[in-house]
Amino acid sequence: MSDHNDSKLVAKNGTLLGWFDKRYPLVSTWNVHVGEYYAPKNFNFWYFFGSLALIVLVNQIVTGIWLTMSYKPSAAEAFASVEYIMRDVEWGWLIRYMHSTGASAFFLVVYLHMMRGMLYGSYKEPRELVWLIGMMLFLLLMAEAFMGYLLPWGQMSYWGAQVIISLFGAIPLIGPDLALWVRGDFVISDVTLNRFFALHVIALPLVLVVLVFMHIVALHQVGSNNPDGVEIKKYKNDRGLPMDGIPFHPYYSVKDSMGAVFFMLLFAIVMFYAPEGGGYFIEAPNFEPANPLKTPDHIAPVWYFTPFYAILRAIPDKFLGVVAMGGAIAVLFAMPWLDRCKVKSIRYRGLSFKILLTILVVSFVILGWLGTQPATPELTKLAQIFTALYFMFFLILPFTSVNEKTKPVPERVT
Amino acid sequence: MSTEEQNSTSVNLERRKVLTGATGVVGAVGATFLAVPFVSSWQPSERAKAAGAPVNADISQLQLGQMLTVAWRGKPVWVVRRTPEMLEGLAPLDGQLRDPASDESDQPEYCKNPARAVKAEYLVVVGICTHLGCAPLFRPAIGSPDIGADWQGGFFCPCHGSRFDLAGRVFQSVPAPTNLEVPPHHFITDTLIRIGEGPSEGAQA
Amino acid sequence: MKKLLIICSLFLLPLSLSAQAGGGYGITLEHANNDLRDQASLQRGAVLFSNYCMACHSIKYIRYNRIARNIGWSDDEIMEKMAYGQGRVVDDVETRMLPDIAKGVFGTEPPDLSLMSRLKGEDYIYTFLRAYHETEDGTWDNTVLKGTAMPNVLEGIKRHSTEEEYEQAARDITNFLSYVGEPSKLDRLDLGWKVIAFLLLMLLLTYLLKREYWKDIKH
Repeated sequence: MSDHNDSKLVAKNGTLLGWFDKRYPLVSTWNVHVGEYYAPKNFNFWYFFGSLALIVLVNQIVTGIWLTMSYKPSAAEAFASVEYIMRDVEWGWLIRYMHSTGASAFFLVVYLHMMRGMLYGSYKEPRELVWLIGMMLFLLLMAEAFMGYLLPWGQMSYWGAQVIISLFGAIPLIGPDLALWVRGDFVISDVTLNRFFALHVIALPLVLVVLVFMHIVALHQVGSNNPDGVEIKKYKNDRGLPMDGIPFHPYYSVKDSMGAVFFMLLFAIVMFYAPEGGGYFIEAPNFEPANPLKTPDHIAPVWYFTPFYAILRAIPDKFLGVVAMGGAIAVLFAMPWLDRCKVKSIRYRGLSFKILLTILVVSFVILGWLGTQPATPELTKLAQIFTALYFMFFLILPFTSVNEKTKPVPERVT
Repeated sequence: MSTEEQNSTSVNLERRKVLTGATGVVGAVGATFLAVPFVSSWQPSERAKAAGAPVNADISQLQLGQMLTVAWRGKPVWVVRRTPEMLEGLAPLDGQLRDPASDESDQPEYCKNPARAVKAEYLVVVGICTHLGCAPLFRPAIGSPDIGADWQGGFFCPCHGSRFDLAGRVFQSVPAPTNLEVPPHHFITDTLIRIGEGPSEGAQA
Repeated sequence: MKKLLIICSLFLLPLSLSAQAGGGYGITLEHANNDLRDQASLQRGAVLFSNYCMACHSIKYIRYNRIARNIGWSDDEIMEKMAYGQGRVVDDVETRMLPDIAKGVFGTEPPDLSLMSRLKGEDYIYTFLRAYHETEDGTWDNTVLKGTAMPNVLEGIKRHSTEEEYEQAARDITNFLSYVGEPSKLDRLDLGWKVIAFLLLMLLLTYLLKREYWKDIKH
């Protein structure tokens, strides 16, 4: 079972590869991270989303670079330049839809990737840093998406940014000055658009790529978790290789390729036949140029922000609303320490965790739906209930997880 | 490893090779198709094509010996109304020119004639030196202290000293390799030239 | 497999809710039932648009030659039928109204209609065009957009044609504006299934490849 040594790359002297390897750690890097990276053999469906996130990141960067070639980051020209891309640039429509659909796909994939971490306890020792870097990536991704959404300079771009930047204004003492500083003007303006453009196309992608690199390095340092939540490094064969591990290449490279193609298939269906995502991926009001004097009837953020937006609206106090929204994200950072159960995988955890996690996921999805709806009194009440339930997960977990009635964890993966 | 296992492995290897190859080839085809939009998005956009659409030059006010400049595709296009004397002066220069019959140069078939024009009186050329893209100067006067005492009138490029006659034909021993380019054009009326569209295209449109 | 279905349905959930995202006009919109592949309808729509809309509205994000190419006209035909010989075929389709006149006449600037079909939807345009009615004081109003400054431009057609012809005129204009909203939409729809077919082939290959390699792994 453990005789998978054919994937190890060897740089022979006198070959081009050998020449390179003397001067650059090409072969050793490949072996450490791909050829001889031993991953648990029991990865299931949930383990596709990491590689998919990487694929979407590449898609966003490449299509983004191409969009930048025709986009004009100025209040006077931005809206028209997007239409220029959609109509005049050869294949511009395809490149733009790849980017706009990619934004939504990115969040979908990342949310499911995070869900995997919750299900199988991937945030627990020794992978706390993997989780923390991942959470930083999530936060950055939100900033990246938010700034990118301003660029088309449509009504929803404008007013969405207006609302979010006003959040800074809720911070006591420095709030109003901070909001002014972020905008660089008294309203969202050309100046704001220009700096958001700079951050969206250069600064944040750079940091994102570096953090993705660190995320993977940190993961490979400690090794991948798996649906059983057991450490495969515990049982090694006579050659020192994990008995339940298989080299990433070729086994997971072919498996992930299959997953990637399946993902692209779904992506193509949406991109070609529903690029607006029913008004959730590209919101209709954004087909009207930004007008600082006229607010759209109903401002809803893009779907991936709506759970947090619903939490913001649920709190009837401006400052506390912002705190709650920030807290909803911040509390996720603390997961490795809030969950004190020794068992990682949900397969062997007690009923209390299963119930709590279900409540969390259901609350998150319902809050997401509420965030797209106008804030009627009934819906606000509902949002308050599910906000409370969302936070309840994190408040109760530290206590229930200590004495959780867990099932026996197998020694080896099943 | 037992013999049995080895056998099954060798059988598998063949199939793996074929499947890996097939996936690789089909994947490469897909990648090539995916590259098409990105590569062709660098082609002139519809806006560039619209800006590069044919333009009309009104020559009703153009006097003998004068030049008119119009912009076509962002490039200067010169319309020179040549005097009979200017036209007569072209043929004697043939011996001093690099490409007197315009065999190596860019012009529509209908302008490959001694005057390089649809109507001999009107020269239409792109005002960009064929050397490195500078804009030559129109110097119609005969004899010139800076160009040469035997100067018969023509175009002079100040960047690198290339000289052209009044049909845009390049002289020998200057850096420019070919004659000035004649753009496709035709006469809509006697006083209106359409630049960017040949006579036959014009008839269709 | 069960999980797979859940994920897929999660992915498609936003799409199924699309009706909710687009609604909210307070009245039921009629279905436009227009067809982007109906070139005759698009051509009629273009002429109607030129005759009944372009006096005030522009569709400035599209050019005459692009329309001609997409709806089956030559450059000469569109200049004759839509532009009445004015301007060049490479010009954007601008309104015939002189700048600043509209504000004085209507008290508002008639919006550019290039993206109206994407902003409001086809059904909205179709319903709006036909939602004019006489008020008690003898003037016009519109049930879709109350108090609109826009006059009932199709009144003449309504009076002098059958109900079917009137509906068809509104449908043709809607169809044309839908085309103008996203001129490359048909390219998108026609390319999509080819890409999907290719990816299905790719999926089959990668599945076989994966299955082949994973024969090594014994659980």
